[in-house]
Amino acid sequence: MNLERIPNEEKLGLSRRYYLGGFAFLPFLWLVNVLWFFREAFLKPTYTEQPQIKSYVKKSALGLIVWVAVLTTWITIFQHFRAQWGEVGDYLSFTIPLGTA
Amino acid sequence: MYVVCIIRVIMVSSSMSRVMCVSAAAGVLSSSVEQKIYVELNETVPCVRLLNATHQIGCQSSISGDTGVLHVLETESDLDWILSSGPHPPYMVIMETAFFNRSVMMRMKNSSRVAGVAVIVSKTGLADNFSPHTTCPNQNTGVYSASYGSDLANCNVTMWNPLGNGLSYEDFAFPVFALKDENQTQVIRKCYQDHNLRVNGSAPQYPLCAMQLFSHMHAATDTVTCMRRTDLQNRFSINPEVLCDPLSDFNVWTSTRPLNNSAKGHAANESVVIAATRLDGRSFFWEQAPSAEGTVSGIVTLLATIQALSPVTQEAPPPRNIFFSFFQGEAFDYIGSSKMVYDMERNDFVIDLNNVHSMLEIGQVGLRRGRSLWMHSDPVSRQNKSVDTEVSEEERKLSLFSHALSLDQPSVSQPLPPSSFQRFLRVRGIPGLVLADHNTSFNNRYYESLYDDAENLNVTYPPDLSPDEQLVYETDAAKSLAEVATLVARSLYIQAGGEKKNLNNITADPKIWFLHQHVSDCVRLLWFLGSGPPQFYIGLGPRIHGPVHSVTRFVQYILANLTGTVTNLTESQCQNPSEVNTENKDLFSYFWVSGPASVNNTGEPFCRSASVRLSKAVSPAFELLEYGSPNYSIIPQSRWKSIRARIFPIFKYCPLLTNHTSMESFRKWTLMTGFVVQGHKWTCL
Repeated sequence: MNLERIPNEEKLGLSRRYYLGGFAFLPFLWLVNVLWFFREAFLKPTYTEQPQIKSYVKKSALGLIVWVAVLTTWITIFQHFRAQWGEVGDYLSFTIPLGTA
Repeated sequence: MYVVCIIRVIMVSSSMSRVMCVSAAAGVLSSSVEQKIYVELNETVPCVRLLNATHQIGCQSSISGDTGVLHVLETESDLDWILSSGPHPPYMVIMETAFFNRSVMMRMKNSSRVAGVAVIVSKTGLADNFSPHTTCPNQNTGVYSASYGSDLANCNVTMWNPLGNGLSYEDFAFPVFALKDENQTQVIRKCYQDHNLRVNGSAPQYPLCAMQLFSHMHAATDTVTCMRRTDLQNRFSINPEVLCDPLSDFNVWTSTRPLNNSAKGHAANESVVIAATRLDGRSFFWEQAPSAEGTVSGIVTLLATIQALSPVTQEAPPPRNIFFSFFQGEAFDYIGSSKMVYDMERNDFVIDLNNVHSMLEIGQVGLRRGRSLWMHSDPVSRQNKSVDTEVSEEERKLSLFSHALSLDQPSVSQPLPPSSFQRFLRVRGIPGLVLADHNTSFNNRYYESLYDDAENLNVTYPPDLSPDEQLVYETDAAKSLAEVATLVARSLYIQAGGEKKNLNNITADPKIWFLHQHVSDCVRLLWFLGSGPPQFYIGLGPRIHGPVHSVTRFVQYILANLTGTVTNLTESQCQNPSEVNTENKDLFSYFWVSGPASVNNTGEPFCRSASVRLSKAVSPAFELLEYGSPNYSIIPQSRWKSIRARIFPIFKYCPLLTNHTSMESFRKWTLMTGFVVQGHKWTCL
């Protein structure tokens, strides 16, 4: 989709939908929001809807950073300690590697 | 035709990549290319992983094999080359027999430059002793513990296997294979000498000969973990992977008077003398257990005993029944005997412990060499007056027949050697003895190893005999075992209350010694035993040649031959004897066998009935689902997908991928490249 040919109200609506959709445990929507509307929000000359788009992009970026931090922490802990957790580790795992602890 | 260069990266922690440039018509690779590169090694035996309650033992390879440059370990300088100075790590060590000991293997284990070991199995360079088993076999599942004879537990008083180096119970992170075929070993040596030899102290150049070993085991950590993961797989996975299987097979038992197999629990008016021995062995490698002194000596002696007793017990049956039992799985914490005792306790067997009068077990009796036979007894149970009297009686009865050989008793404070009798004592203080050719520690210098074979027992034939003549030749070992068997048979008869006048008819025949070489013509088995000496590892039950381990089947059919009677049933009647009025399926089992081929007999099959039965030998812990149980054997064997070995030349040196750290950086670069490509895709939105 090329943002150049869309009227500004539709751009605002898109950004809002991506922002709200990200709350349904969908951080990739926030990632797309940030990357897609970054130029619109910060690099284009000012227009009416731009401040709102800018706020949506900033809030999406914040939510994204929180998600990345939480996921990275959990993944690191799980990968490091799964073997030591024994039974709990096995019940939490979807696939358990064969032949190793 | 165009040339396609394919980079095959073997993504494991300790491997190197190969760059393989092949010509392909229209880009299609044919398998004949693979045959031109790899030489498959078919006659190899792996070491597999076993588990127990707390540890994993055995060997493990990476999931797509471990590759290493070949190096033959013949001298100490070779060891230095492999472990520190060689320029092409990791190495695949071809180990000469002399170097297969604990110190070398531990150094290999601690080194990161060893990709795997292939041991040459031969008698040249074999040390004076080699036992990979522990010094105190089955120390935690015997009768001696903190609550029973605590000063005798853990071999405090007597170290039974002092030469044991415990290699079978170590955990190796690389594959260890055994090379048993001399021709194949020559192929490997030739590849090594052609490409990998050092010339004047300088390092060999590429192309080098390499070997790849595949033996990836599924199980890990310990039995509890493995069974839990198998359970999770079975419940939640679409394609469940089984990770390990409990060791299981069958015990073989028979009795002089048939017992009703459908009546479980206490048998009325039966007082039974149990004569037992073990049926299995093990070694460092999978399914290899020639176990001549450790197991075969006992089996052959008990078979000879049964053969000597059966005519007399038919004509003049003694008041007590004699129950002969061959226990399977005793090397792995007494699987068979613990299962039989467990069944007896729960009234799930033809007799129970109240029926048992006394017990006589035949341990390792092959290395007597004209010296005494020792009668081991349990000092703790003998503190009880009545038990002590009974045991002394049993010893006295044995001593009545010590003309041909001398009998001795060990000192009164000495515990029992590792034996199935210990499992019976755990439950009830039954009077009993264990016969062995050793006093304080085993005479067997190759206990539970690959080298405990016929040569260990000094079974030698004069050089000019044909195989058929060898079958009936009476070796010294056979005569020695026949003496023991005669002694045991006569004393069992007296122990069972038989009359002294019948004793002279009880003699064991030395010609029964055939278990090592061939199948006897007298018993033509329906299953072919395979070439080479029989192996006594318990295994997992179902085998290629039938539902039961071949050795178990072999002993079962020999017993049927020795003790059974010929009937004139047809084949369909033989398989369904309940339809025939004169036959009793509860007392006998029926075998459809083919007869011996001889001049006046064409080998027609017939039906034989005998009171020989199989009873399941799997550890009670697996039935009770107590996978961490300290009371029973909990040793499963891991599963695997493929086990194979192959050698191939390495042509080109790839500096990026020759050791661990370079492999990691390669992975990093690949990941970065992926991200960069993805990022570029997003910016075009």
